[in-house]
Amino acid sequence: MKSFRNAAIAIFAMASPVLAQPSGAITVYTSQPQEQMATVVEAFNADYPDVQVEIFRTGTTELMSKLQAEFAAGSTPADVLLIADAVAMTQLKNDDRLLAYADAPLDGIPADVVDADKTFFGTKLITTGIVYNTGMVDQAPTSWDDLRAPEVAGSLIMPSPLYSGAAVIHVGTVTQQPDLGWGFYEELAANGAVAGQGNGTVIEAVARGEKAYGIIIEYMAMNAKADGSPVDFVWPDQGVSAITQPVAIVKGTDNEEAAKAFVDWQLSKTAQEQSVAQGYFPIIEGVSPPEGYPALEALNIMPLDADKLMADDQANKEKFAELFGG
Amino acid sequence: MLRLFALALMPGDSGQTLGLMRETLGSRAFQSAFSNTLAASGGSVFISTVLGGVLAFATGLLRLPGRALISFLALSPLLIPSQIMALAWIEMMGSGSFALGLFGLAPPPGASNPMYSGAGVAWLMGLEHMPLVFIAVRASLSAIPGDLVEAARIGGAGQGRIAARVIFPLTVPSLAAGAVLAFAAAIGNFGVPALLGIPGRFPVLTTLIYRQLNGFGPAVMGKVAVMALVLVLLAALALLLRQVVLRRLSVPLPPGAGFAGFDPGRGKWAFLAILWLVLLWLSILPIIALTTTALVPALGVPFGLETASLKNFDAAIANPAVRRAFANSFGLAGLAGFMSALVAIVLGWLSVTARNPFAKALSWLADAAFVVPGTVLALSMILVYLRPLPVIGVSIYGTALILLIAYLGRFLPMALRPVEASISATDPSLDEAARIAGAGVLRRIARIAGPGVLPAAIAGGLLIFMTAVNELTLSALLWSAGHETIGVQIFSMQYEGNSTGAAALSVMALALVGLLVLLTDRLGGRLPPGTLPWRSA
Repeated sequence: MKSFRNAAIAIFAMASPVLAQPSGAITVYTSQPQEQMATVVEAFNADYPDVQVEIFRTGTTELMSKLQAEFAAGSTPADVLLIADAVAMTQLKNDDRLLAYADAPLDGIPADVVDADKTFFGTKLITTGIVYNTGMVDQAPTSWDDLRAPEVAGSLIMPSPLYSGAAVIHVGTVTQQPDLGWGFYEELAANGAVAGQGNGTVIEAVARGEKAYGIIIEYMAMNAKADGSPVDFVWPDQGVSAITQPVAIVKGTDNEEAAKAFVDWQLSKTAQEQSVAQGYFPIIEGVSPPEGYPALEALNIMPLDADKLMADDQANKEKFAELFGG
Repeated sequence: MLRLFALALMPGDSGQTLGLMRETLGSRAFQSAFSNTLAASGGSVFISTVLGGVLAFATGLLRLPGRALISFLALSPLLIPSQIMALAWIEMMGSGSFALGLFGLAPPPGASNPMYSGAGVAWLMGLEHMPLVFIAVRASLSAIPGDLVEAARIGGAGQGRIAARVIFPLTVPSLAAGAVLAFAAAIGNFGVPALLGIPGRFPVLTTLIYRQLNGFGPAVMGKVAVMALVLVLLAALALLLRQVVLRRLSVPLPPGAGFAGFDPGRGKWAFLAILWLVLLWLSILPIIALTTTALVPALGVPFGLETASLKNFDAAIANPAVRRAFANSFGLAGLAGFMSALVAIVLGWLSVTARNPFAKALSWLADAAFVVPGTVLALSMILVYLRPLPVIGVSIYGTALILLIAYLGRFLPMALRPVEASISATDPSLDEAARIAGAGVLRRIARIAGPGVLPAAIAGGLLIFMTAVNELTLSALLWSAGHETIGVQIFSMQYEGNSTGAAALSVMALALVGLLVLLTDRLGGRLPPGTLPWRSA
C-alpha cells in the first residue's frame, strides 16, 4: 500500500512540470578556463540550485574533434556547448546537431550575434590583439604591420588554429584582409615568429620574458596584467578579430529543461556582469566593458566573411601548419 | 588497436594499394618528424644510459652513507610526470629563473629558453627514462652473488679489478636491456616533446599525431594510423632487440645472498660531494624552480619574500574540480596498481612456468601497449569502447572505467616484467615437484610461485601507482566531466596560461606522492627485501 502511495506521488510530481524548477544534471562542454567556469557554475546555482552542472573543458578545436568522435559513435554526454566561435557552431548546426530554442530570452542581445534559426547565441565578445612584455619593449606596437619588422617578428609568439578557436577566426580574418593576407603570415614566419598551442602558451612566453610580443585574446593579457605580470595589451588600429563565445543546446539532450535554464542564465544580465568581472567585453546593451578596455562602439572589428572562412577552414589550417610547423 | 591499423592499410585518395601509407610516408612533415624522433630518442638513450648506469654503479657498488636517499632521488624522475618535469625545467632554465638567478647564471631576458629545442627534448627524455636503466642495473647488481665477489677477492683481485672484470660484465645485459627499454619509451614519449618541441619547432611522431588529430579531427585518422604503425614497428624492433640481448648475453647465476657493495674507503667524501652536486642539479633545483613559480602571484613577477603568497594554492584547493581530480587519480591509480600486480603474477606464471603460448603472446602484446604512444592507445580505446558493449549494452565511454582499463593496458608491463624476471630466476623444479604431487594450476600459482614473486609484484604495483597517479597522455583523451585526473588538471591549467596555478597543483601532487613514498618506506622494513626499488641493496 505504502509503495503504491509513493508511486502515485511520484507520478503526480512528474505531471506538474510547470511549477517545478529545472533539476537534474547537465554536462557543459566549454573552452572557457576552468577556474572561471567554477565561479560561473556557482553563480548559476544561486539562481537554479537544483541543476547539477558538470564541466568538460578543453580548447575549441580539440573539443570539436571529441564531439565528432562521439557523434560518430552514436551519442555524446554533452547537453550544452559554450565554445569559442560561431564558425564551429555553424558546422555543428549544418550537421543538424543543435537544438533550435525559439523562445530564448534575447532582450538587449544584438541580432548579429544570434543565429537566424535560434540554434546558438553569442554570450560575450572576445577580441584578438597584441600583448607585449613591458620590461622588454620601449615602443609599444600599434598596428599589425608593426609586427612584420624582423626584430619584432623574431621575438613574436602566436596561438595556433590547430588548438584555439579564437586563432581559427583570427587567422581566417587576417588572411581575408587585402592589406594583410597570407603575405603577413609568410613574412612573420620568414622573420622567425613561432606558433605555440593555445592562447595560454602565448601569455606564458610573454609574461616570462621568453618572447617580447604575442598575438592573443585580450582578457588573458589584461587579467595577467591585473595580477601583476609585466605585460600590456594593445587593440591595433588596423582593427581586431572577434569571436562571440556562443552557447547552444545539443539536439537529443536528456535534460532539455535544465539546458534551457543554462542558456537563459548565460544571456541574463547577471551572467553578463560576471563576464565583465572575468575580463570579457559584454554583449548585452547597458553593461559597460571592464576597466581599461575601450568602449564597445570605439572597437574597430575587421570584417569577416564567415562562409568563406568555413569553406577555407581546412586549407587555412594546413597552410598555417606548413608555415609554422605541425 | 587492430581497428586502427586496418585504417592504416586502406587505399589512398587515388585508390592505389596502400596508397594512404605511401602518401603519408612520403610527406615532408612525416619525414622530418621521423628523423627527429630517431635523433631525440637516440640522444636521450645515451643520456639515460650514462646517468642511470653511473648512478646505479655508484649506489650499488659502494656502501655510501645515505644510499637509500640517493637511490630515491635517482628514481625520482619516474615519479614526476613528464609535463611537471618539463614545466620545472622551463622555469629553471628560463630568463626569470630564481634558481639560476641565485648563482647569477640565468639567461638574459629575451633569450629564448634553451629547453625549447631538439637538445632540450633529448636531455629531458634522457633524464625521465634514466630510472629504467637505473632499475635494471641495480637489480642485476643485487642479483650478483656475494660468494662470487668473495671468491674473486680470495683469488687476489682488488676492488677495481673485481668491479671491472667480474661485476661489470655481469651487468652488461641489463644495462643494454635498460637502454633499449629507454629507447622504446623515448619513441613513444609525448609529454616532453609536446611541451618543449612544439614551441621549439621540433616535431616528433607523437606530437605530429597529436597536432594532426587536434587540428583536423577524425578525418585524418587513416594518416594518423599509418604514423602509429611506424611507431609500433620501431618499438617492436626495440623489444625484439631486448629479447635477443637478454637471451644471448645473460649468464644464469646461482641463488644466494646478494652482493652488498664495497666499502668506499677514503675517497668517499669527495665522491659523495660530486654525486650530490649532480643530484642537486638533476632533481632538486627543478623542484625549487617549480615551487618558486607556485608562490608568485603572476607569471613574470620575480620571486622574493615580498612577492611570495599562497594565493595559487588557495585557488587550487577552492576549485572543486581539483579536489575531485585528487580523489579520482588516487582511486584509479590504486586500483590499477593492485590489479596489475595480480594479473602480472597469473600471466607471468602462465607464460614463463607453464609456457602457455597464448599467455606468451599476451605478455608480448602488453609490451606493445606500453610503447605505443598513449595518444594512439587512447584513440583505439575510443574506437572500441565508444559503442555500447555487446552483451550488457552499456557504454563505458564517459565513465571512469575506460580510464581504468586504459591504465591497466598501459602500465601492466611495469609489474609484468619484474614478475616474469623473478619467476624465471626461480628454480623450475619446485613447480615440477608440486605438479607431480598433483597440485592444480591455481594452487601452484598461489602457493609455489606466489610467495616468491610477491616482492616483485608489490614493487611493480607501487611503481604503477606512482606513475599512474600523475598520468596525462591517456587521461587527456579519455577523461570526461566529473572524472578529471590530476594530470589533466595540471595540463589544462597550463594550457589556459595559468602556469602559476599549474605549478601550485604540481607541488601539491608531488608532496602527496612524496608522503606516500615515506609511508611505504616506513613499511619497507616489513616487506621482503627488494620490494622498494630505492631500497634494493
